[in-house]
Amino acid sequence: MRRILGHVLWAGISALAAVSLGGIALWRGEHINSLWLVIAAVCTYLAGFRFYGKFIAARVMALDNKRATPAERLRNGHDFEPTNKWILFGHHFAAIAGPGPLVGPVLAAQFGYLPGTLWIIIGAVVGGCVQDFVILFASMRRNGKSLGQMAREEIGRLGGFTALLTVMFIMIILLAVIGLVVVNALKGSPWGTFTIAATMPIAVFMGLYLRYWRPGKVLEISVIGFVLVVASVFAGQAVAQSPALAPWFTLSGAALAGAVILYGFLASALPVWLLLAPRDYLSTFVKLGVIFMLALGILFVRPELELPAFTRFVDGTGPIFAGKIFPFCFITIACGAISGFHSLISSGTTPKMIAREWHAWPIGYGSMALESFVAIMALIAACALQPGVYFAVNSPAGIVGAAPQAAVETITNWGFPVTTQTMSEMASQVGESTLFQRTGGAPSLALGMAHIFARTGGGQAILGFWYHFAIMFEALFILTVIDAGTRVGRFMLQDLLGHIWKPLGKTGWMPGIIGTSAAIVLAWGYFLYQGVRDPLGGINSLWPLFGIANQLLAAVALCVATTILIKMHRLRYAWMTAAPLAWLVVVTFTAGWQKIFSDVPRIGFLARAAELQAMIDAGKVPAAKLAETRALIFNERLDAVVCGIFLALVATILIDSIRVWIGILRGALANETTEAPFVLTNMEPEEA
Amino acid sequence: MRSAIAQFGAIVADLLRELADENAYRRHLEAHGRAHSGEEWRRFIDARLCAKYTRPKCC
Repeated sequence: MRRILGHVLWAGISALAAVSLGGIALWRGEHINSLWLVIAAVCTYLAGFRFYGKFIAARVMALDNKRATPAERLRNGHDFEPTNKWILFGHHFAAIAGPGPLVGPVLAAQFGYLPGTLWIIIGAVVGGCVQDFVILFASMRRNGKSLGQMAREEIGRLGGFTALLTVMFIMIILLAVIGLVVVNALKGSPWGTFTIAATMPIAVFMGLYLRYWRPGKVLEISVIGFVLVVASVFAGQAVAQSPALAPWFTLSGAALAGAVILYGFLASALPVWLLLAPRDYLSTFVKLGVIFMLALGILFVRPELELPAFTRFVDGTGPIFAGKIFPFCFITIACGAISGFHSLISSGTTPKMIAREWHAWPIGYGSMALESFVAIMALIAACALQPGVYFAVNSPAGIVGAAPQAAVETITNWGFPVTTQTMSEMASQVGESTLFQRTGGAPSLALGMAHIFARTGGGQAILGFWYHFAIMFEALFILTVIDAGTRVGRFMLQDLLGHIWKPLGKTGWMPGIIGTSAAIVLAWGYFLYQGVRDPLGGINSLWPLFGIANQLLAAVALCVATTILIKMHRLRYAWMTAAPLAWLVVVTFTAGWQKIFSDVPRIGFLARAAELQAMIDAGKVPAAKLAETRALIFNERLDAVVCGIFLALVATILIDSIRVWIGILRGALANETTEAPFVLTNMEPEEA
Repeated sequence: MRSAIAQFGAIVADLLRELADENAYRRHLEAHGRAHSGEEWRRFIDARLCAKYTRPKCC
């Protein structure tokens, strides 16, 4: 009876997924309620988890609970420790949930709600969840080895080295682009800038408290830190209204970029317990809490989606970033659908903590489904805004004009009516002087979230608090990615330079620390500054570059995963990773090719450089702007080179992988597995 | 129903302690047979944070 009920339940969930997905894909009425997106997403994730994920677990990977995991065999109380599966699920989710699934969908909403929604849901179920799950499984069967180690052992030394270089390059672009998101959110905003600035002394206070006054009381100080951060959001309003204090915190984009670069350097060079770690604890708890609040808020408010299913910008003329749905929607939304960065987490701490092999199913597949749902929520928050407001906030001055009147006229002519009065009322409600040209995605997401939170209670009166709370939440954990990323980049560089001159490889040698920290900070800081100075807003160049890089890392992970499946004699199932790999290769190589060689200046880096050069040659650039324009030309060419390097790196690993696959299938290469040998578990069922 | 809520609450509390490294510290004390002290916490957290921040954070 229970079995029949189970079949009926899963048939119902699958039918609901199909109906709701079909519904949102075909509906072309006035507006659609966001609940449809929630139902479509949740039911598709559940069906994908129960059927596709379980099929992979049982038939492809042959997970075996009798097999001792590394957590049991290598248990040391530190890294290797069998952990309750739901705790590890939360731990893994907290590790993979970054700013990407929040920002990417907001930017891609310029195409309308439908392309992003379908890509997020379908991409996650057949791509992202599979990648995370297979890499987690592969690492778990190899004593928790990293993606780079697995690439080296399964594909070859060239593959391993390429994977490491890819990670390093991606980190530089990632740090620059998320730094740009923070800068654009805080530019000219004394309230936001004060709140974020206040988190620095709060973090230092937390670090000292934890180290000397109440050692080990992390939760206790995190609660205190949270109270202080919320107090700073309230204090920010008073600062913004103070004629004496407001100018101190009203900073230009260039000044903020300098501050973010300085912060990245300090966080990398200072002792980790003082600034980086306390911020990281606080940011993790705030992140989980706000995501939970947003889910409740959306369920409670059930906002209508104001943006249409498709906008006119499917033709590639979008103001936020240029390019058609294919391939640009699929690289703009990376982390919510499939993210290469997740493969680094899935081959990091998590495989060392899995108590039973079958736990990898909910942790690997399920966590990514939840991450994808976060992306759906971000998309809902953005699409719940009036389209005119959404485009006014996200469109750069170079596209819509610097003056508010020019911007509203351009946007209204696109078919998305908006007035300067609406924009100034909204800015006033959230305590900002203006909301025009706040590119980067974070402010429009904060605006959407603030409206949802305000409708759950408090109304318009506390819209300003919620807007700045959301900005604080986004900036807090973006800065945590920046500081940790800079530090990791420093270690990678020290590791690399240590081969040239040994002292540079010593992680405790101060000149080495300062030199390598500065080198990494300057590398991403250069791209950040370039984005700040870009008249097209920076996001148009940097976010696609980041998306291409992240998806190419996913291609590297899927190369490793496919190689492992072939080596496991699962050739008939290798399409499960090979199909998303083929899709990503087509998408990223098309996007990369267009970003380099397209003759449309807003898309192609080289075309833009040529256009600017032609303007100089024709004498259309005033003498005062000549140096700046030459710098823009250099930057466009540099971006083209970086994009070319990404493509070359991934082509290298792809060709190397195909060589290995063909070699194994023809019998020319030995099919050597690097799996740890089977050891029978000694754990009782209740121990896991 | 009440026990299910209590169980859920216990998992959430345990997750928070795991994310806060408090569980790892407890395991460290048990594994080495040591008692909690400021010095012990600093020794533990320095080693843990050193390992933790050599891994990239997700985007």
